[in-house]
Amino acid sequence: MQRRTVLIAILALLLLVPPAADAQKPIKVGFPMPLSGPAALYGDPALKGAQLFVEEINAKGGVLGRKIELLARDSKANADEAVRVSRELILKENVDFLVGTLTSAEGPAVSVVAKENKVVFIAPIPKTDQLTAPDKLHPYIFRVAATTTMEGRSIAEIVAKWNVKRIATISFDYAYGQDVTRAFVEHIKRIKPGVEIVDQQWPKLGEADYTPFINAQMAKKPDAVFSSIWGGHFLTFSKQAKPLGYFDAIKYNLIGAGEIASPEATKAMGAEYPVGVWGNSYDAFYWQDAPPAHRDYTARLSKFLKDDAPSSWSIQTYMAMQFLVEAIKKAGSTDSDKVAKALLGLTVDTPHGKLTIRAKDHQANRGQLYGQTARDPKYPFAIMKPMTYVDPTKFMD
Amino acid sequence: MSGLRRIPWALVLVVAALFVPALGSRFYTFVATDVAILALFAVSLNLLLGYTGLVSFGHAAYFGIGAYATGILMKKAGIPFLLAFPAAGVLAGLFALVFGFFCVRLTKIYFAMLTLAFAQIVWAICFKWNDVTGGEQGMPEIPYPDLAWMERLPLAGQLRTSDHFYLLTVVLVAACLWVLRRIVGSPFGRILTTIRENPERAEFIGVNVRRFELIAFVIAGAFAGLAGGLFGIFNRGVFPDFVYWSKSSEVLIMTILGGIGYFYGPAVGALVLLVLNQQITSYTQYWPFILGTILIVLLFAFPSGIVGALDAAARRLARPRRA
Repeated sequence: MQRRTVLIAILALLLLVPPAADAQKPIKVGFPMPLSGPAALYGDPALKGAQLFVEEINAKGGVLGRKIELLARDSKANADEAVRVSRELILKENVDFLVGTLTSAEGPAVSVVAKENKVVFIAPIPKTDQLTAPDKLHPYIFRVAATTTMEGRSIAEIVAKWNVKRIATISFDYAYGQDVTRAFVEHIKRIKPGVEIVDQQWPKLGEADYTPFINAQMAKKPDAVFSSIWGGHFLTFSKQAKPLGYFDAIKYNLIGAGEIASPEATKAMGAEYPVGVWGNSYDAFYWQDAPPAHRDYTARLSKFLKDDAPSSWSIQTYMAMQFLVEAIKKAGSTDSDKVAKALLGLTVDTPHGKLTIRAKDHQANRGQLYGQTARDPKYPFAIMKPMTYVDPTKFMD
Repeated sequence: MSGLRRIPWALVLVVAALFVPALGSRFYTFVATDVAILALFAVSLNLLLGYTGLVSFGHAAYFGIGAYATGILMKKAGIPFLLAFPAAGVLAGLFALVFGFFCVRLTKIYFAMLTLAFAQIVWAICFKWNDVTGGEQGMPEIPYPDLAWMERLPLAGQLRTSDHFYLLTVVLVAACLWVLRRIVGSPFGRILTTIRENPERAEFIGVNVRRFELIAFVIAGAFAGLAGGLFGIFNRGVFPDFVYWSKSSEVLIMTILGGIGYFYGPAVGALVLLVLNQQITSYTQYWPFILGTILIVLLFAFPSGIVGALDAAARRLARPRRA
């Protein structure tokens, strides 16, 4: 008897209840993003950024007189699942647009879905060059994140100003690590021909023991190091490197790609952070000489997240949603073909100043904040001081 | 009752499945394709789990190998589906032969751990070998097979490419399931059951247990490979996640949820898990908690799987009438 009750309950659960139709017909935006597992650490604030924008625009009456509805789905940080939820969003929920994905595997995979279904897709975070490479580019894919080329070259521009000759690199042996390192090495050789690449280490992604790589690198006596050991991996790396005297040997001349100087990263590492190294971040709530719009945005985000030190990842999805809504406004339509055309060459006033999506490669001239980490009595974690926004416009292909 | 039994239900279901695209919803076709392919994957695992009593934690390896084989052949070499699809089964079967050779030398948990180890090796290769597998980013844009000829078929002319692919999937999956059904019903299948019940005794009566286990392992691997070949095309891309251990556990859950004691149990498990996953993830972002709870309840309430519970319920309903 009990079993039958359970059975009935489950059958009831299985009934496909279609979501109730809304009379107002909001504009639906599908949002595939990692919302579980370790990647949710970034996926969650990314979702919040988009939600903040949607709340603000809907309070102003939406766009074209229609509200925006964000349909978030967990992509579980894997390409296979990102494709599945994106197709479900398009086929079942009939979303008008897609904004989202985090990893460089998810982005290109969802791009294929967008192409086949002719739906505009704006990628806010994936950096891989391949997403907008000429052979992969199609009318519906756009990106507001920096590319691996832009990130590598931005770092090369900074290192070129240092008084160093012997440079080493350490990066994970997979697509992102290889691409960003190649971009850095090619660009630094071009703008500062005197430098020498003395060593390149390639640990595997998520390496647990960096000791052999660290020792081999120190033996080559580099003056400076380019690293793309990103996010939480940098904690493991620096914990092992510090006692070996690695940072002292290179006089803290290490510059890291992959957001190692973001407030999230320095907060997570706390006292263990190798203060003095250089890094980058999408955003920083403590940015002093930011454009006025940024201060305002930070205050709103801080309120929305109920956090005095709000996330640096939210800005990416906020900008992506801004571009989408401006394009809908410009096109005067939610038709993907018209919106895709409107996005070409579109300039938007973002919290980081004016950004433009180039018609040539559907890529925004999005820079990042770079700086040397330092302690500040105001915060219990390291911040970037001084910090600059590196505008990539002049060295984009 | 006996009249009902004489109807070839499997055939009725296949014919009914062919009419899903006629409902006109792209979404239903999408879900039905997904279910059909993963049902084959789960049933292939059950040949080991339910029939031979071998717990494999690495069945996704063969699924992934099949997906990569078909994907690489069709996308990079331009080989037609007609050859690329069987190649998935052959290649997955060959890998199963090599890995299985070592695995069947171990028993119980050691067997399970070794299958997992081999699967993780395959995953590492898929993840790292950028030139061939596309590495971490996988291989998007696997072309659909050329199914333009279906337009000349009656009723199927107006359908989309994805519908045509669905029809092909239903026919191929049905054919594969039919073959698997014949295998488990054959004397060979009986020997596998004997091995499951009591390997020592089977050995005693002259059965070469290891060899039979290895053959079962190869057959299961080959059919998982065929499912993978279809899935890569359906998913519009092949990714290293196909081979990751979480995929192996997913298919294990499907199989156990549906019922390992029934041939079609795992297929029902695939249907239930997919629909649950789809529904829950679209209603809440706290889906892992909800799905986990439902699975625990299901597994506790139906220790012999959903099909086992339905079977028991049907028997209970039938009994009073007979009396």
